[in-house]
Amino acid sequence: MVGFFIAWEGVSRAQLIPSEKMPAFSTVIATLTVCASNWEFIYRVLQSFFNLTLGIFLALFIAMPLALCAGLRNKFDVTFTPIIMIVGALPDLAILPVLVIWFGPGNMAAIVMASVCAFFPVYFTVREGTKDIPHDYFNVATVFRSGKIDTFKKVVFPSIFPYMVTGLRLSFDFVWEVILAIEIIARVTGIGTFIDASVNQGTIEYAFAGIMAVGAIALSVDRVAFGLLEGRIRRWKE
Amino acid sequence: MMRQMEVENVTKAYPRSNEHLVALKDITFTVHKGEFVCIIGPSGCGKSTLLKIIAGLDKPSSGKIRFEGELVTEPHPKISMVFQSFALFPWRTILQNVEYGLEIRGVPKQQRRNIAQEFIELVGLKGYDNLYPKQLSGGMKQRVGFARALAIDPEIVLMDEAFSAIDEFTAETLREEVAEIHGETEKTFLLVTHNLPEAIELADRIVVLSARPGRVKSVVEVSLGRPRDKTGSEFIHIHKNLFHLLKEELENSIIRHKIKELREFQKLHDMEPK
Repeated sequence: MVGFFIAWEGVSRAQLIPSEKMPAFSTVIATLTVCASNWEFIYRVLQSFFNLTLGIFLALFIAMPLALCAGLRNKFDVTFTPIIMIVGALPDLAILPVLVIWFGPGNMAAIVMASVCAFFPVYFTVREGTKDIPHDYFNVATVFRSGKIDTFKKVVFPSIFPYMVTGLRLSFDFVWEVILAIEIIARVTGIGTFIDASVNQGTIEYAFAGIMAVGAIALSVDRVAFGLLEGRIRRWKE
Repeated sequence: MMRQMEVENVTKAYPRSNEHLVALKDITFTVHKGEFVCIIGPSGCGKSTLLKIIAGLDKPSSGKIRFEGELVTEPHPKISMVFQSFALFPWRTILQNVEYGLEIRGVPKQQRRNIAQEFIELVGLKGYDNLYPKQLSGGMKQRVGFARALAIDPEIVLMDEAFSAIDEFTAETLREEVAEIHGETEKTFLLVTHNLPEAIELADRIVVLSARPGRVKSVVEVSLGRPRDKTGSEFIHIHKNLFHLLKEELENSIIRHKIKELREFQKLHDMEPK
C-alpha cells in the first residue's frame, strides 16, 4: 500500500505522466484536506452515503421475505427465482435510465437504483442460506413445540444471518462501485457527480480527491461494520 | 407395569404415481413406563420414520399412537428427542442450547439457567457452559443433545441412532452413562439403531422390524442384569438370535427383489411381438 503511494508520487514527480492527467499523490492528499473542511464536499459525501445506504436497506427489506419464501417453499422458488434470474441477467446499469423515467431525476431515483443493484446479492445469498438450514433444526424446533414466530426468531433468522451479512457486504461493495453511474443518470449532487464534474472542468486533483474519499468510506465501512459482524459470526461458525 | 405408550397398527405409505411405496405396515407394540426399548431392523425398513411418527414429526397414513391413553397427533410435551446429527444450534453456547426447550416453554431466565446447568453437570460437561458447539468433539456434542432432551423433564426420550455418528470408544462411554441415567430416573427410553450389541447392551426389549415394508417381525426380551457383560454367553446367544433374524430379513428382501425383477422381465417378454 505504502509502496504503491510512493511509486505513484515518483511517477508523477518524474513527469512520466503529465500532471493534468494524473496529479501527484501529495497534491491529491493536499486537495483532500482542503475538501474535508468544505461543507459542500462533506454534504455531497453524506448525500451519497445516505442514498446508497437507504437503497441497500430498501433492497434488504424487499429481498429478505422473497428469499425466505424461495428458500423454504420449493414451489415458490421454482416459479419465482427464474424470473429474478432473467431480470438479474440484464445489465443493471442499463435499467437505471428507465428508473429515472419512472421516478424522475433526484435522490428517490438514486435510492431505487441503489436498491436494484443491491437486490440480487441479497436475494441469492439469503435464498441459499435458507436452503442450507439443516432439516433437523426444524425437527428440534417442532419436538420442543416451538411456535412459528419462535422458529423464525430462534432458528431461521440466526441460521441465515451470516448469509445476510455476506449478501449485504457484496451489495455494499457493488453499489459503491457504480455510484458514479447512478448519480450521473439520476442527476444527484453527490460525490459521484462531483468526480464527474471535476473531470469535465479539468480540476483533476479534485476528481482524485473524490475517488480517494469514496475508497476510504467504502473500505472503512467494509472493514469496520462488516468486519465486526463477521468477527462475531466467526466465534460460532465452523 | 403400566402401559405408557401404545403404537397401534401404524402404517406409513408414500403416494407415488404408479404404486404406493409402503414404508411401515401395521406396526403394533406397547412401551411400559421406565422401559428401555430398542427398535432394530435392516436399513430402509422405516425405523427412523416410525420414531418420527412417535415424536409427532411425521403423520402415519393410518393407525394411532397413544401416550398414557391420549392420542398423539403432534409433538407431546412429555416426549423429547435426541438426534443422530446432534442438531445443536451452532450460534448458541452449550448453556443456551440446553436452555432451548425451556426457553420455548417460557421458563424464567434464572430458573432455566439453573436447570440447564444441572443437566450440563449430569452429562459431565461442567465448565463448558459458554463454549460453542464447534469447540466440542462429536461425543461431547451428543452429551449436550442428551442434556437438552432431558432438561424439559420428559417421560419418554426418543433417540434416533443417537450413538452412530460418534467414534466407537466415546459411544461406548456415552452408552454406559445413558444406561446409568435410565437406571436412576423413571424415564422411558426408545432407541432406533442398527447396532445389535448396542441394542442388547441397553434394551429391556428389542423390537425387530422386517425389511420394507417394515412390520414387527419379533419382540425379544433381554432379561440380563445390569451393567451388562458383552462377553457373557447369554449376551452372545441373544446376539446370534438377532443376527439370524436380520439376516433372514435381508435374504427375504433380496429374494423379493429378484422375483420382482423376474416378473418385470416376464412382462417385457410378453410385450414383445410374436
